[in-house]
Amino acid sequence: MSARRPALVLRVPSRTEFLATIRDVTRRMAEVAGFDSAQADQLALAVDEASTNVIEHAYRGAPGRTIELRFRDEGPSLCVEIVDDGDPVDPRAVPQVDLQRYASERRTGGLGMHLMGRIMDSVTFRRGAHRNVCCMVKRKPTAGTEALP
Amino acid sequence: MTELSVDSRELEGIVLLYPRGFINAHTVRLFEGEIQKALDQGRYRIVVSGADLKYIASAGLGAIMGVVEEIRTNGGDIRLAELNETVRNIFDILGFNHLYRIFPSEVEAILSFREGGETGIPKA
Repeated sequence: MSARRPALVLRVPSRTEFLATIRDVTRRMAEVAGFDSAQADQLALAVDEASTNVIEHAYRGAPGRTIELRFRDEGPSLCVEIVDDGDPVDPRAVPQVDLQRYASERRTGGLGMHLMGRIMDSVTFRRGAHRNVCCMVKRKPTAGTEALP
Repeated sequence: MTELSVDSRELEGIVLLYPRGFINAHTVRLFEGEIQKALDQGRYRIVVSGADLKYIASAGLGAIMGVVEEIRTNGGDIRLAELNETVRNIFDILGFNHLYRIFPSEVEAILSFREGGETGIPKA
């Protein structure tokens, strides 16, 4: 078996009702990969946020589309790809989060992307074959490594 | 299973909210609605007591962020208590611990409003 073969592929409708399923599967995959419970919770949050972004931005709330999640254990790290065939997403268009300004201006956008970046070691986006692929990688813990912060 | 329920009660003019379950993009409207009910009644002193809050995503954090200025402008505050480690970590990751007062217990959060006049961003 190729080391790059997906360990699990999950396809769910683009509805927020399925965020709980996404969270549960991500937690389980993270724990199987060797992350502790706190780290698994954080990984689940990052994948929840990425999936929410797909529903709200790439699919603009359309419920009949599909989100594909690919979990791949790469040995020293866990890779999760979130794939959609919605509108092109430009992560550069997401505002940088300045919490003090956000509070005073009643802004809330960009928090999810900010969380993803803080939790994961790498978050990258690519577009190909009319699909958006968000690739998130988290290195596995070594002895003494703890969850953020 | 219902993913989120939010009970509320009032004590000494303070609205106590008890979210039970998960706050994410799917459930956040319920949470926002309970906060808005308090504001509609002119209640600007709010404690979110999170002992049964299992998880909060950015949608829930955004709900708090979206009302805090109005609450503080009206002399109140929204404070948090009894957050579990998972939820507390999320607040810390985002730096929300610098924007909101977070208390180990609900009683401490309630008593903090007796201090008088001390609202808003926690001291460093």
